[in-house]
Amino acid sequence: MKPEEIRKNINKIDRELMVLLQERMGLALRSKKFKETRSEPEQENDLLARVEHLNLDLIESSFTRQLLKTIVEETRRLQDEDRSLAAFQGEHGAYGEVAARQLVPKGAYIPCLEFIDVFRGVEEGYFDLGVVPVENSLEGAVTQVNDLLTTTDLKVVGEIKIAVNHCLLATEATDYRDIRQVFSHPQALAQCRNFLRRNKLEPRPYYDTAGAAKMLVRENPRAAAAIASSLCAELYDLEIIKERIEDGPSNSTRFLLLAREPHPDNGDKTSIIFAVPHEAGRLYAVLKLFADAKINLTRIASMPLRSDPGNYSFFLDFEGSDKNPKVAEVLKQMEGLTKWIKYLGSYPVDKATS
Amino acid sequence: MKNLKLVSRQTAQRTTVNVADIQVGHDFIVIAGPCSVESENQLLETARAVKAAGADMLRGGAFKPRTSPYDFQGLGIQGLKILEKARQETGLPIVTEVVDPRDVSWVAEFADVLQIGTRNMQNFSLLKEVGRAGRPVLLKRGMHSTLMEWLNCAEYILSEGNPDVILCERGIRTFETYTRNTLDLSAVPAIKELSHLPIIIDPTHSTGRLSLIASMSMAAVAAGADGMIIEVHHKPAEALCDADQALTPQTFSGIMKRLRPLKSFLNDLPIN
Repeated sequence: MKPEEIRKNINKIDRELMVLLQERMGLALRSKKFKETRSEPEQENDLLARVEHLNLDLIESSFTRQLLKTIVEETRRLQDEDRSLAAFQGEHGAYGEVAARQLVPKGAYIPCLEFIDVFRGVEEGYFDLGVVPVENSLEGAVTQVNDLLTTTDLKVVGEIKIAVNHCLLATEATDYRDIRQVFSHPQALAQCRNFLRRNKLEPRPYYDTAGAAKMLVRENPRAAAAIASSLCAELYDLEIIKERIEDGPSNSTRFLLLAREPHPDNGDKTSIIFAVPHEAGRLYAVLKLFADAKINLTRIASMPLRSDPGNYSFFLDFEGSDKNPKVAEVLKQMEGLTKWIKYLGSYPVDKATS
Repeated sequence: MKNLKLVSRQTAQRTTVNVADIQVGHDFIVIAGPCSVESENQLLETARAVKAAGADMLRGGAFKPRTSPYDFQGLGIQGLKILEKARQETGLPIVTEVVDPRDVSWVAEFADVLQIGTRNMQNFSLLKEVGRAGRPVLLKRGMHSTLMEWLNCAEYILSEGNPDVILCERGIRTFETYTRNTLDLSAVPAIKELSHLPIIIDPTHSTGRLSLIASMSMAAVAAGADGMIIEVHHKPAEALCDADQALTPQTFSGIMKRLRPLKSFLNDLPIN
């Protein structure tokens, strides 16, 4: 190995150490949400005994003790900070995390495999908050999330519109001229179809955008790149070859911030879901209430009811707080017209969405 | 002429090449900027200065074909990213050179106009590639080339389906040594007789002498050129290439103040 290669490898290991520590801290914060049965010193001794048994010839046991002590101390400090645990779907660097970082500035961002893990985790108290995409400007409603909003009891406490700026990412050692295949989520690949065709790149579907970025670093496939957020470039130490490679200029996703309790303040936007009986003019009668009260609707969408095929639930977002007397009056009148209403809550509007 | 099926002038109709909202061939356009992209700071400073002086587009090389392999070869794709940043900030469209056929589609992702340099004028595989790139091409005249050879190269690009070619006279080799090259100003009316394509002038490389650039710029306007491409550096003494022929923003601004009035004066002259 040449000196510069050795230096490079050391840098890489240092980086990985930090990423692993970050993962460890995340797990420690999550463990706080469970009731502990064992005392902390007991656990620490256990940890030391296990690590000392590793028998690493270059790592003295005194050093191990010192290092672990530092890590444990930092973990405790972090646990005492009481950061909000904000869960999102996808790997670290997913657009859900981009949204979570803006909605929950000083949080701990926890990746989840599926949307349902986000919802369940918040419901059961393992996470404080959840961040989920509700609609995309090009693809429309995210049906799985809308379905979960109907069937769970979480409240909406915030929203944000994230501009989806796809980046072409590759490892530092990759010459852009050698790239032949590009890994990403099928939707991201579809949004960059023209870019890929212009540069004769072969799209390779992958389960997640950030997952594809992570895979590049771990497996280092030849002649390959990934399409993901610029956050992924930071997190996985990848080069951004080109930013904004999506074909359409206005590609954005609206995310909701979910919690167990409603927003403590009034908020200025409200979300509800409702269903009406199959009778002529029922939906019209509901919408008329809003029109007469001069309440501006910002979203109206319908989705088939899974529990009741042939019937639909309607998603309605409108301006104003549910504590506003005018809004409260409309909601009261709605009760008589609908089969059921589910109040998702009032929350501060994201200026970019209005 | 019989092989110049697409570039020769058949009717009175002239081609205008649209770059963003600029019409090359209709307006008198000025492309200005450094020889090469050296750093973000250098390019942004220069871009702001040429924009303030009234330039229409920004030039700057990320891939440099240099006489010596030991000279600065350009920043490559990093340079392209810096150019993109400059466009975002100033709104000036980007003109940048491409030297390798494998780079064409990538440079086209960043640039508004692809430049083919004098040394690559007859690089036919490169010409075919830019003919398929879907971006306007600035085709410089080879320093040893006749007008016919030059127009044949433009024909290569058009024959691949790209009608947007801007020709650029940048001086030819003669026995004169006082100037770096000899600016062939007669090429402007000659090309206009032979072809419908727009033609601009490069007063920097053709003279290689700072003191001559202003006069040759005025001469280019008078000869009926559709514009010019000119080297400007925010600190010429520190430039990594062509340090002795880049204008300061101040000098450039002075030239610009005289160019536009001359152009409108000429426009007002009676035709014959």
